[in-house]
Amino acid sequence: MKPVARRDGLLIRELKDEMLVYARDEHRAHCLNRTAATVFRNADGTRTVSDLALLLAPQSDLPAAEAVVGETLARLAEAGLLQGGPAAAGWSRREVVRRVGIGAAILLPAVASVVAPTPAEAAVTCVSDCSQQKDGTACNCYGEPICDATCISGSCSAGGC
Amino acid sequence: MGGLPSMMPRLRRGSARAGRIDRLGWRAGTCIDACGLRVGVRTNAPALLDRLEPHLPPGWRACASPLVDQIFSVWVGPGDARRPTRVYAGRSRRVRTANLARALAVLESEIRQSVAAGAARRTFVHAGVVGWRGRAIVIPGRSRSGKTTLVAELVKAGALYLSDEFAVLDGRGRVHPFAKPLSIRGASGCDRHAQSRCAEELGGSCATGPLPVGLVVLAEHSPGATWRPERLTVGQAVIEMLAHTVPARLRPEASLSSLERAAARATVLKGARGEARELAGHLLRSVEEMESVSRRGAGEGGTR
Repeated sequence: MKPVARRDGLLIRELKDEMLVYARDEHRAHCLNRTAATVFRNADGTRTVSDLALLLAPQSDLPAAEAVVGETLARLAEAGLLQGGPAAAGWSRREVVRRVGIGAAILLPAVASVVAPTPAEAAVTCVSDCSQQKDGTACNCYGEPICDATCISGSCSAGGC
Repeated sequence: MGGLPSMMPRLRRGSARAGRIDRLGWRAGTCIDACGLRVGVRTNAPALLDRLEPHLPPGWRACASPLVDQIFSVWVGPGDARRPTRVYAGRSRRVRTANLARALAVLESEIRQSVAAGAARRTFVHAGVVGWRGRAIVIPGRSRSGKTTLVAELVKAGALYLSDEFAVLDGRGRVHPFAKPLSIRGASGCDRHAQSRCAEELGGSCATGPLPVGLVVLAEHSPGATWRPERLTVGQAVIEMLAHTVPARLRPEASLSSLERAAARATVLKGARGEARELAGHLLRSVEEMESVSRRGAGEGGTR
């Protein structure tokens, strides 16, 4: 298997020991730790899992490093950063932990993701219009505030504004 | 600042028109610049302009040109239920009410949100901000997450007040003041009993210029919790702050860049907190320790 990381529609920022990836179509941002960033950067369709494992940890036990690459590919696939989707990975996390052991735990990948908010979601203190708002959003009629009211099914629970 | 200029605003070429709203018989208007976004307000009741100033975004400046990026319109009705006052943002009606004070509150909120989304040279993060020892403490969080309570405690403890709503970041990752009176809710978190309190009323004062970010605090209030935060990496910090960033979808590249620059020079802590007063003391001490470490690193020595 020669995995291919997604490249289209991504905004990529390299940090020290990390990488930030923003998918413009889904408005999702991901933070990749060093392991995940290394695999993502080098998964270009020319390298096998073993090649990637050697890049990741040239000095360490190869089967363990391959297990880490497998786990990394699974996480990248979950985040939508791997072409071919989840099927391209095919490793179980339990197996990875078993193979890697405590010694190589520092190599374990991490991918933290967040959906970027819309301006209204991020800016709003309380909304005056519950239409198109998620249930539970605080509603408030500005000059006529409502105590503890939230949006439910498009209307303010305290009777609307 | 100065007085509001009297001029009828016009949208810049290429901006979306307001359609039939443009033909409602506007008689007076004004134009301001807030964080680089040019905003026009027009009304059918010229006397309204005299009441507008307290509702404009912090740091607004008068514009010399009538060309603006966004127009807000306030059609003032005679006060009866059949012909209420209406507030429009562009062509979208935001409120319809017989209560003029409420209409102005809606206008104020709409303009602020519009500036937060549209200011091209600033990145607005929903957050409370104070300054201490020349560094900003930024507290991102959703509405009702306890930001304002924590900001108020920090101000009472002597920190400078920058904002209880938005951290306004520039391209260098510094945070600028955006100080409106703190809106402090009642003990039950009830908006009905919310009070507007100036920093001075809490024994503090407002910052007058931008500060580098020294500390970012991602704290969820949990009664009885002890503050034992984890320290985040720069990348993790950017992801956490992006969730509260107003232009994240509109300008992801600039947003990520500003957040990264802010986080790169800051300590970023995340955890559950107990009472705000207790945490305020911890945070101020953290900044003092950072300052002392940085002084030792720079080999400056001495005292302030």
